[in-house]
Amino acid sequence: MAGIRLHVISPLVLVAVGKCARDPSVFVRKCAANALPKLHELRQEEITSAIEEIVGILLNDRSPGVVGAAAAAFASICPNNFTLIGRNYRNLCQILPDVEEWGQILLIEILLRYVVASHGLVKESIMSSLLCIESSHSEKDVFDVNVALEDNGIPSRTYDSELVNLVSRSYIEGLGEYLTRSSDTNARSSDLNGARFTSGKTNDDVKLLLQCTSPLLWSHNSAVVLAAAGVHWIMSPKEDVKRIVKPLLFILRSSGASKYVVLCNIQVFAKALPHLFVPHYEDFFVSSSDSYQSKALKLEILSSIVTESSISSVFKEFQDYIRDPDRRFAADTVAAIGLCARKLPKMANTCVEGLLALIRQELLTSDIESGNGEADVLIQSIISIKSIIKQDPSCHEKVIIQLFRSLDSIKVPEARVMIIWMVGEYSSVGVKIPRMLTTVLKYLAWCFKSEAVETKLQILNTTIKVLLCAKGGDMWTITRLFSYLLELAECDLNYDVRDRARFFKKLFSHNLCSQVPEETNALQENKDLPLVLVECIFRKQENLAASEPINDRFYLPGSLSQIVLHAAPGYEPLPKPCSSLCDDLGQFSNSIDRTTALGEEWTGSSSNGTDDPDTSGSLDEESGSNYDSQQSIPGLSDNSGTGDSASEGDRNCDPLIQISDAGIACSNENGASHSGFPDLEGMMSKRALESWLDEQPGSSSPSASEQIQVRQSSARISIGNIGRQVKAKSYTLLDPANGNGLKVYYSFSSEASTISPQLVCLETFFENCSSETMSEVTLVDEESHKALDLADLTLATTASSLTSQSDLPTLVPMEEITSLEPGQTMKRILEVRFHHHLLPLKLALHCNGKKLPVKLRPDIGYFIKPVPMDMETFIEMESRLPGMFEYARSCTFTDHLGEVDKDTDESSLLKDKYLVICESLASKMLSNANIFLVSVDMPVAAKFDDASGLSLRFSSEILGNSVPCLITITVEGKCSEPLKVSAKVNCEETVFGLNLLNRIVNFLVESSLNT
Amino acid sequence: MLQCIFLLADNGAVILEKQLTGHRVDRSICDWFWDHVISQGDSFKSMPVIASPTHYIFQIVRAGITFLACTQVEMPPLMGIEFLCRVADILSDYLGELNEDLIKDNFVIVYELLDEMIDNGFPLTTEPNILREMIAPPNIVSKMLSVVTGNSSNVSDILPGATASCVPWRPTDVKYANNEVYVDLVEEMDAIINSTKQFSLLHARFRDGVLVKCEIYGEVQVNCLLSGLPDLTLSFANPSILHDVRFHPCVRFRPWESHQILSFVPPDGQFKLMSYRVKKLKSTPIYVKPQLTSDAGTCRISVMVGIRNDPGKTIDSIILQFQLPPCILSADLTSNHGTVNVLSNKICTWSIGRIPKDKAPSLSGTMVLETGLETLRVFPTFQVEFRIMGVALSGLQIDKLDLQNVPNRLYKGFRAVTRAGEYEVRS
Repeated sequence: MAGIRLHVISPLVLVAVGKCARDPSVFVRKCAANALPKLHELRQEEITSAIEEIVGILLNDRSPGVVGAAAAAFASICPNNFTLIGRNYRNLCQILPDVEEWGQILLIEILLRYVVASHGLVKESIMSSLLCIESSHSEKDVFDVNVALEDNGIPSRTYDSELVNLVSRSYIEGLGEYLTRSSDTNARSSDLNGARFTSGKTNDDVKLLLQCTSPLLWSHNSAVVLAAAGVHWIMSPKEDVKRIVKPLLFILRSSGASKYVVLCNIQVFAKALPHLFVPHYEDFFVSSSDSYQSKALKLEILSSIVTESSISSVFKEFQDYIRDPDRRFAADTVAAIGLCARKLPKMANTCVEGLLALIRQELLTSDIESGNGEADVLIQSIISIKSIIKQDPSCHEKVIIQLFRSLDSIKVPEARVMIIWMVGEYSSVGVKIPRMLTTVLKYLAWCFKSEAVETKLQILNTTIKVLLCAKGGDMWTITRLFSYLLELAECDLNYDVRDRARFFKKLFSHNLCSQVPEETNALQENKDLPLVLVECIFRKQENLAASEPINDRFYLPGSLSQIVLHAAPGYEPLPKPCSSLCDDLGQFSNSIDRTTALGEEWTGSSSNGTDDPDTSGSLDEESGSNYDSQQSIPGLSDNSGTGDSASEGDRNCDPLIQISDAGIACSNENGASHSGFPDLEGMMSKRALESWLDEQPGSSSPSASEQIQVRQSSARISIGNIGRQVKAKSYTLLDPANGNGLKVYYSFSSEASTISPQLVCLETFFENCSSETMSEVTLVDEESHKALDLADLTLATTASSLTSQSDLPTLVPMEEITSLEPGQTMKRILEVRFHHHLLPLKLALHCNGKKLPVKLRPDIGYFIKPVPMDMETFIEMESRLPGMFEYARSCTFTDHLGEVDKDTDESSLLKDKYLVICESLASKMLSNANIFLVSVDMPVAAKFDDASGLSLRFSSEILGNSVPCLITITVEGKCSEPLKVSAKVNCEETVFGLNLLNRIVNFLVESSLNT
Repeated sequence: MLQCIFLLADNGAVILEKQLTGHRVDRSICDWFWDHVISQGDSFKSMPVIASPTHYIFQIVRAGITFLACTQVEMPPLMGIEFLCRVADILSDYLGELNEDLIKDNFVIVYELLDEMIDNGFPLTTEPNILREMIAPPNIVSKMLSVVTGNSSNVSDILPGATASCVPWRPTDVKYANNEVYVDLVEEMDAIINSTKQFSLLHARFRDGVLVKCEIYGEVQVNCLLSGLPDLTLSFANPSILHDVRFHPCVRFRPWESHQILSFVPPDGQFKLMSYRVKKLKSTPIYVKPQLTSDAGTCRISVMVGIRNDPGKTIDSIILQFQLPPCILSADLTSNHGTVNVLSNKICTWSIGRIPKDKAPSLSGTMVLETGLETLRVFPTFQVEFRIMGVALSGLQIDKLDLQNVPNRLYKGFRAVTRAGEYEVRS
């Protein structure tokens, strides 16, 4: 019955469910528990507490089947209501092994959250031990000794602990905080040190949880195993963590799909604590039936857990992988070899030998036709060698020489580039290389003509590097060679090569003219030049070195977010340790929390001075609100004063106004912080982020977070831009030809009427195009004119008349324009009540005593008014208006094309294409309807040019009866082509909603050129 | 929670759509999915978790049918995947096998099953035995009946007793005339065998294989046909060789922790009691010696198969399968025993069957390489399948099976079988 999603019967259903929850039959109680989430989905506030109460009853049940279903209900209804769990904690733990498997998965997670929230992290676990490092060094030492004993001294210990630290923090902190923290880690590090820890040995609850979950590691449902492993990973003492290893490895044997998921999780575990998996390296050997993704993950895990004892057998494996028919995988293997060699410097020689042999072998059989795969392997092997050499160039002299020798036979341009780079980079290493240089350079000059562009550029660079280091007799030869190369390059077909050549020529003009630098002034010149060049060369090197990717992000083990590597909607990090203390300690901790929160606040505001976009969130808001209020005031005065069509300024500010709201809210919170709000800084940052992400990509939706960081600055520009772009459309009411030179045009304004909320404001402009002065210009509604006595038209009577004849469109009489000089434009604000009549309104325009009939065409886009709301409310309201209250249409949208094209022209100012689309869509919407932009969702992991998934949400309510009206615009297609836009309107008033939808589609289709 | 389940045929057409919650998931998600499958090929198909612009998709592929589940919110991904696996298992159990036509023929049953298995996006009843009680499997009689009576529902009117009992996996009143219990050890051998030396690529190689990894993945399958509420205890002679274990929910954890004894109240009928893994085995029953030499655009291949360690029972259904590298244009392969097939996607199958006593089976032939390619540099991996009845190669032995609460007359049966799992020989 709960499946009938009707609001009307939900109270009845609730009563029934409540009865069933006390039924003697287990099955009935279970069904009652299953019905609860459905009831909850109807989202009726009044019954929420009742539902939660029933959940509490069901959680207390003795039967495992009921508890499983109740856990599911709990997770979907009130995942943060820890008091419910607290009451039944022991019972739940005891019953956990008997609960059916699907319930177990959720129950485990709930219990974990509860324990973290009520008791904090466990002191002995990996999570906390690393967090403590900063605060107490003594503990760190002890810990390090422990670890050293455990894992036989893995060299990169410090890095690992840093990583674990990062992992554990990202478990606890949400996305918002992550963004904030990533910019200044130091300011935030105090945050977690404040978290209290509990000892797993003394705390019964923790012990109980671990005890109950450990048999679940043997479950035959891999999801249960992973969930239990996650609990142990976070909660169990360090020395016990290893018990999760075997079960995890065992579930690798199950289906291919779950294998991938498990590997993803193991990868994180293995990176944080490699020693756990060291003895089990054999399990990560690749078998040919694995999918490519699994293979790649296994390689990565292998290279992170490899140790000196296992390296030899791992290498043997790698050698087999290189011969795999999948060349992509072979290239990955080569890269993994490079990683291993960097990790274990002792093995570097063997690795290089192996790689060189591989290159030789590739060369013997290499030919271009054999496909890209081979080239990739070759390039990757040279990259690996390069990274190995970089660690210690001097002992790999022979390798470098060998590579130089093989230059003749390597045909792939990328590979050549890298070797040539090495020529320049290591030109002064060792004894033999400098002697070879001239020969190598001669060879390069000889084959310069036939090279690819990138190789040519690299040859030029290298020659300069060599030239700089050259001394004695070689100098002359090299200079000659260089000038020869420059001449060749100057006649090259490619712009870049020519440019580069000219650039160098200018730099070295002195050098080249004098041929042999003996004069003193040439020497002086030389001093400057190397400086410049060395700088440029070193910059290059830095770029290459910085290619190591270390921006992994971590989510809770076993979560969806960890697999897709962004926070999925609904993802919640672990609760703040000890956030819900219910004993005496509570008061105390609250006060501590408050102080830390205040401290946090302080650091936040002090860092505002920096130009960091993340930390200065609150500053932005303040400045934003200042800016906003300033803007809106001149906007108003503009309207009354000059009377030109600047009124749109107001409407455009809508998004900004919301920001200022949030800013005020935040400042209120600041004030309230003294009264003790424990989670202030969490609220604060979240609020801040949300509010000013409002206008920019991916605020609350899944999107690659790195993008956000990168784009934040540019996104802020977009707010202003939209403001400028929004242009209210103006319609002509009276043509000068018909009106004896009087031109009247109007545009819809977003201003609220001062008289009644049901009135729509129109800005009407009267322009005198004739040469004579006009007088007594006024607009009246013909019918109301008849009905009402003109003499006593006061505000009060109009108000009463409005209520009395509520069916008719009414015009609030406007102030008469006594005289209008030639060329003068006057503005009046008309307030009209349309009553949702879409038919034109017949008005009479009186001018110079004459009466001219005019027609006022209503725009349904302005029958609504914006309602600021946040994402959650929007979603919630949307879900309340399903089915017959939802209407959708699609159309094509081309406005952005012009913008996108413009952008490609000005390559210097490359704006994000998504942003362009967002902007043009938003401005179009905002300039045609009186709505509020709630959020912009950016597509998830889309291809470069693919705008599919972009969606904008707008909220508004109907003027007359405040019925909410929600608009969602979703985009499909490619950025550079006309987009397929589907508009969706959720509104209870069916007719109105449909009309509005039609209107939206109409103006979206209209090209921007017309406006 | 899951919002929708789709079943796709191997051409991308939606066979079945099951909406689970109030938020309808549009079918266009399947088009999106299939577009990507086409554009990105198999690597996309093997991604179990996909983030589409609107939904997160879990997918598994079974017998050419793609099972998709969509969600929009955070949930444990393994839960989705595991559930899809269960659905696939149960469907193939009900329908005998999985294919598009069978699903289409039995739409009603599939929908009924899904209805029982998942409710509002949360898995409900996934225990096959209970499902079987609720929904009768399709058979000719029921089909006849439904045609004649016009009553198409297979859902039984009575609630299975198990749902209310404290042992949810077992019906309360089971009666058998003959009380029987069968315990099967089904083992799969996973092995990786190397047969080459590093980088000696241009030369002929004929070496005995090096065992890189060899382990057994085993399952204890019990077919229990016992009346009443029996309580069974199974113990092994040598439990210490077990590396990891996983249990059916019916197994009590405590006795295993303390004495390594399996104590359980069995479900009715066939079920998987536990699965285990035995690592670091030293030998394999058969050898495969591939030899590839390539020269001047052609490649000679010869593969020999023989028994290395006689397990005492016959090894049958030996099949050798390998994927020819893409650079091979054509292959001409012959064998002195069994049949050789080369499929269009360059998968070569050599089914040997039983190894004859008098000769060692061998496969030989020549393959023509792509023009311009002198020698072969990538080498195929041979996947071997075999089956040995009556032997558990891991050496695991069942010590005894004790029963309580059962009538005296009963039959206990033990069986063992070893199959090849991921048994690979790298050339």
